[in-house]
Amino acid sequence: MIGQLPFTATPRYNFPTEYQNLQLPHNFIELSLRSMRKLDGECLVPAAISLSDSVESHPSLYAPSPSNYESQSLRSIPLKPSQQPATIIAIDVSNIKLGETDSGLLIAIRAAVVWMRNRQYRYLRLGPFPFHITEQNKQKICHLFRAHNFQTSPNSQITPKLTDTHNRISNLLECWLQMNISTRSQDSIVLWDGSLTAGTPDNPMQFLSKLLETARNRLNRILAFAKTTTLRIGNQVLTDLTTETPSPCLIQVKSIPLNPSTPLRFLGNIYVTRFARSNCSFRLDIDKNLPIEEGIAAVEQLLGNDMLYQGYPETLRLAHIYSTFTASEVIGIQRFIAQTHGLRIIMRPNLRRLLFGPFGKGVDA
Amino acid sequence: MKLYKKEGNTVQVLGFPTEEIEKGEYLLVEDPKRCRSLVLQVIDIQFANIPGILEELLRNSTDDRNIYGENFDPIEVAPHITYIQDARMLVCKIRGTLQNGEPSLSSAWLPSRSQSHIRKLSTTSLLANAKVNSSRPINLGEARDSSSITIDAHLLDGKLNIVTGKKETGKSHISKLLVLSLIDYGAPVVVLDLNGEYTNLGLSRTGEKTEYYKKVCILCPGENFKVTLAQTNLRVVLNILFHALDLPGTSAREFRRIWKSLKEQDALTMRRLGESIRNRQCNLHVRDALNSRYYSLVNSGFFTDNQEEAISLKESFKALQDGGALIINLRNTSTIDRQIVVEFILSKLIELLTQWRLRAVFLFAEEAHLYLRETYWDDIVTRMRHFGVFTTFVTNQPSTIRENIYRQADNIFLFNFTNEHDLEAVSRAARVDAETVKSIAHDLHPHHCLVLGRVVRDYPVVVKVRALDVQTMGQTRLFFTDQN
Ligand SMILES: Nc1ncnc2c1ncn2[C@@H]1O[C@H](COP(=O)(O)OP(=O)(O)O)[C@@H](O)[C@H]1O
Ligand SMILES: [Mg+2]
Repeated sequence: MIGQLPFTATPRYNFPTEYQNLQLPHNFIELSLRSMRKLDGECLVPAAISLSDSVESHPSLYAPSPSNYESQSLRSIPLKPSQQPATIIAIDVSNIKLGETDSGLLIAIRAAVVWMRNRQYRYLRLGPFPFHITEQNKQKICHLFRAHNFQTSPNSQITPKLTDTHNRISNLLECWLQMNISTRSQDSIVLWDGSLTAGTPDNPMQFLSKLLETARNRLNRILAFAKTTTLRIGNQVLTDLTTETPSPCLIQVKSIPLNPSTPLRFLGNIYVTRFARSNCSFRLDIDKNLPIEEGIAAVEQLLGNDMLYQGYPETLRLAHIYSTFTASEVIGIQRFIAQTHGLRIIMRPNLRRLLFGPFGKGVDA
Repeated sequence: MKLYKKEGNTVQVLGFPTEEIEKGEYLLVEDPKRCRSLVLQVIDIQFANIPGILEELLRNSTDDRNIYGENFDPIEVAPHITYIQDARMLVCKIRGTLQNGEPSLSSAWLPSRSQSHIRKLSTTSLLANAKVNSSRPINLGEARDSSSITIDAHLLDGKLNIVTGKKETGKSHISKLLVLSLIDYGAPVVVLDLNGEYTNLGLSRTGEKTEYYKKVCILCPGENFKVTLAQTNLRVVLNILFHALDLPGTSAREFRRIWKSLKEQDALTMRRLGESIRNRQCNLHVRDALNSRYYSLVNSGFFTDNQEEAISLKESFKALQDGGALIINLRNTSTIDRQIVVEFILSKLIELLTQWRLRAVFLFAEEAHLYLRETYWDDIVTRMRHFGVFTTFVTNQPSTIRENIYRQADNIFLFNFTNEHDLEAVSRAARVDAETVKSIAHDLHPHHCLVLGRVVRDYPVVVKVRALDVQTMGQTRLFFTDQN
């Protein structure tokens, strides 16, 4: 189902052979281009560049608050880094709002895949892909994506609000990449940014379990790291949990009771990492259907192979770094759209603010 | 390019990587609504302060590890991003205004930031606009854009010039170029050649005689350049005694008496002078003082009693009438002898000029501080200039030239300097702001020179000085001569 691109892609000799022709679905690029076609003559009011814009739309944020908690449900697992060679692959996707047009929202998305083998890192960046999301095309965008990724009927989903669409698109791209890497690699440790919580509009159960199954079948082990989590145990944020066990270790959270009414499901076992002595902890989800020991072994191999920075795997950190946008890139992309699609960039003074000061209420928020 | 900011005389222009610009080049800011343009000169090129650039750099320098990577960028956004990231800030100085093709130095207006169009201004059209053209062109070399740069010999006439820069950058070379060009236009030139570098001015690179061979006369003091006392004015001898040989006043008075009596007897020879001093009935100290000075004069080998040996400067200068150079080779001359010779030459020059035997002389003085006495400096820029001595100082030690000389200089040919102290000294030149001098001179390549002053109508211009078909020699004495 992966359409080949009409675009020339240089052969990637530096990459493991199985990824040398990793390419995006044709639809994706087409969509990006098509979405901008109607831009000619429109005005763009650039978004104030706040770089945290591109952060986290990950399902972990949607996670529910468990109502009660018992301390027996925690287990500390000491870790012994294993030098056994492993290929580590990390995937991350970022999106940023470039600004508002007369008819919608201009965003850009970029994905990064980083491979680590024998302490050598290689990266592949995909993008940036600008998208112009309007009320007219947002549905189409989401449908096309969904159709491509989930192969479910397009009508089965409610379309998101305009302002959520960009998170949605980048999620879809991420899923597509995750699927691709899962199918193409073997016996690798695959790092994701986020959690294995399913049941959100972005991460339907069906798709996520299929993804995990594909990975399992090819002996890949998926470790999903979340930098932030809203999961709490009692009134404690998960990542604030402490343990007597010396680092490196994992704290397994054996059960988090879910509100019966929520559609959310945890497809992974949930752990809190304590890799470094510093108190940097992350939520780590490992596929539930993978034998626990195998999951732990994968973490030990990760520790023995990858570098850690503030208790965070370097491969994943690089994927994050390579996908996020810097301010100068944002200006460059705005310039690209202005030059190639006739968009006029204007600095529209905020009239409401000029007239009423920062207290003006209403639609402009 | 886009106008970004103006502060005082400085304008910042945002430049993009596709526009090749180097320091020293000119820009024209055309304001279509006002029909006039601002002439700017780029004096420094900096990185533009792009938002997020630090992040970008930090991101791309992950430790010392070499991270291979590729970008799949089918939509081709990347070039636009690099375009932004490689933007540069051109720091420019306002050099004037062009209105209907007429240049003026006014800069009391500001072109529109949004409407103005900025383009490169070639040195040729800059100088053409500035009406630098003449009947007596001197081709200095070429500008960055390969157009040739020509100055007007008229604008060297009656002027005070300075050639300065580090060693080996091409100061003597441009001086030779100017000397030969002046000879071409029939001007008499005197070169005080400290290192004997100008002695082959009449020979081509391959050693053949050139058209200049007959017009260049080399004088080596003590060898083919000797004079008799009779040719020498008492005033000149006294100057030598005072300034070169530090003779005290009382002794000088005694010397004058001796001189006068010898002159009355028509016996002004070195031999008789020596006898007279020895036999003089006077204070012992005075006699000793005179005696030691006498031997200095003898030892210089510059004075002779043999009429045949002596040359007549009057005749030498006459030979220059239709263009020619007198090269005074001071290479093998001691410090004191140099002063004796220079003292003699300059007073002879003034003498001939006051008698109108010479109309004017272009004097090139290399490292003048090594032989020119203190009081001559002011004299050269005032009185002597008035008589028709038009001096070009050539030095690699700009601090040896006093500030007032810089202020009076009409033209400065500035080569590379890296030393802050040297740059500071040169930047005092009143003809241009210190910032321009420091920024541009610091990055000049060898054989490239920043020309300041009247010859370029006060538009500082960087020139790659053209080569000359002249044999070079004698600058540096080397021990290892088998290899270069
Ligand atoms: N414009 C030029 N083209 C070719 N050679 C040059 C040029 N300027 C200087 N040179 C050569 O470079 C060397 C140093 O130049 P010179 O004029 O003696 O330097 P300086 O007087 O500044 O010490 C000489 O050998 C000279 O011939
Ligand atoms: Mg020299």
